[in-house]
Amino acid sequence: MIKRLIDWLKKPLGLIAVGIAFLALFSLAAYGISLTQTAPAQPVQFPHKTHVGFGIQCLYCHPGAAKGPSAGIPTEAKCWGCHNQIQKTQTSALLQPLKDSVISGVPLQWVPVAQVADFVQFNHRAHVAAGQNCENCHGDMSKVTVAENPQVFNMGFCLKCHQTVAGDNHELLVKLTDCGTCHY
Amino acid sequence: MAIELKISEVKMSAEQSGKWGMVIDQDICTGCQACVAACAMENNISFVGEVDSGYGRSMHWIRIERFWEGEYPEVKMTANQPMLCQQCGHATCEPVCPAFATVHSQAEQLNLQVYNRCVGTRYCANNCPYQVRAFNWRDYKRPEPLSNQLNPDVTVRRVGVMEKCTFCIQRIHKAQDVAKSEGREVVDGEFTTACAQACPANAITFGRVDDPESLVSQLMKQSHGVKHLEELGTLPNVTYFKGG
Repeated sequence: MIKRLIDWLKKPLGLIAVGIAFLALFSLAAYGISLTQTAPAQPVQFPHKTHVGFGIQCLYCHPGAAKGPSAGIPTEAKCWGCHNQIQKTQTSALLQPLKDSVISGVPLQWVPVAQVADFVQFNHRAHVAAGQNCENCHGDMSKVTVAENPQVFNMGFCLKCHQTVAGDNHELLVKLTDCGTCHY
Repeated sequence: MAIELKISEVKMSAEQSGKWGMVIDQDICTGCQACVAACAMENNISFVGEVDSGYGRSMHWIRIERFWEGEYPEVKMTANQPMLCQQCGHATCEPVCPAFATVHSQAEQLNLQVYNRCVGTRYCANNCPYQVRAFNWRDYKRPEPLSNQLNPDVTVRRVGVMEKCTFCIQRIHKAQDVAKSEGREVVDGEFTTACAQACPANAITFGRVDDPESLVSQLMKQSHGVKHLEELGTLPNVTYFKGG
């Protein structure tokens, strides 16, 4: 039985079948990997590039980045502070979820994009205080609509920067490459 | 060059007694277990339940040890002894880990447990002379309202991972972060560990041992201070007072 199958696979038709099976598996794997690299769906197609284009600072909507561990996502009240003065808010279909949320009081369920694993303790404040700009990790927000990661936030990415920043300063290098600085 | 650096590091660890230290006064400890409860709250320690506890799998980063002296009926209880990770300068748990999950922090001079590296061989716990390491034998469920009290600054450990007292390293980092944002150094007594904070008798004092002016350093100079199993050469950073 198996011998007959192997014989058939060696024939032209069998070889084509093997080729198709291989291609199918490969494209499935490629699709699966591409799924992990795409930004998650958001309740509102928030255009970062439009807001950055108006000259709004990152810290205006994400003030937590300068103060503590979490940068934070603005509440609808903050959005509404500007948007209730904008005529387009009343007519735009894309902004309907924001309007509904403000009227009903049910907050918008934003999906976090830039995340680190549970066993990593990240603090935005230290990085902003050290003179790192937002785009160093989060990419140029003046070019994207819905927020997406320009790279995977893994330990190699963190350590590469930590080592570069520390340079020849041995004391700083010990602190920045210590396991206990991020993992506890 | 590389070898020279290594030798100087070894010398440093032998001379320097550490960075963070603790003094526990057994004479004023009442054994009320407030430190045990506070530690469990602060560090997201699981409640293992009755059955697993019966197997000796109870998880505490600090426990109150009791000893008895004499034969029945003339039994006398000795002072309560809070036992936690001694944050040894020369720890026995560190060299045995095959995954380098329990490493020595060069920056904070603490024994770290890196949860994402740990593969659960339990070698470190078997090699610890103080028996202060706890192993997650299961993913212990937290009943619904309890999950809301998890400390976001501390990793929630999963099954198969070893854990132990960290000297509340999350509080150390928080204090350092606050101090740095205000452009100053961390002041002695500015923060303390959860166990020391909860102790109603102030039996636990925490602070810098490399700062001669700190309260811990002052207390450590008292002559009746004892470091447990010091003869093993572990260089523990917790000093006990008994019969002062």
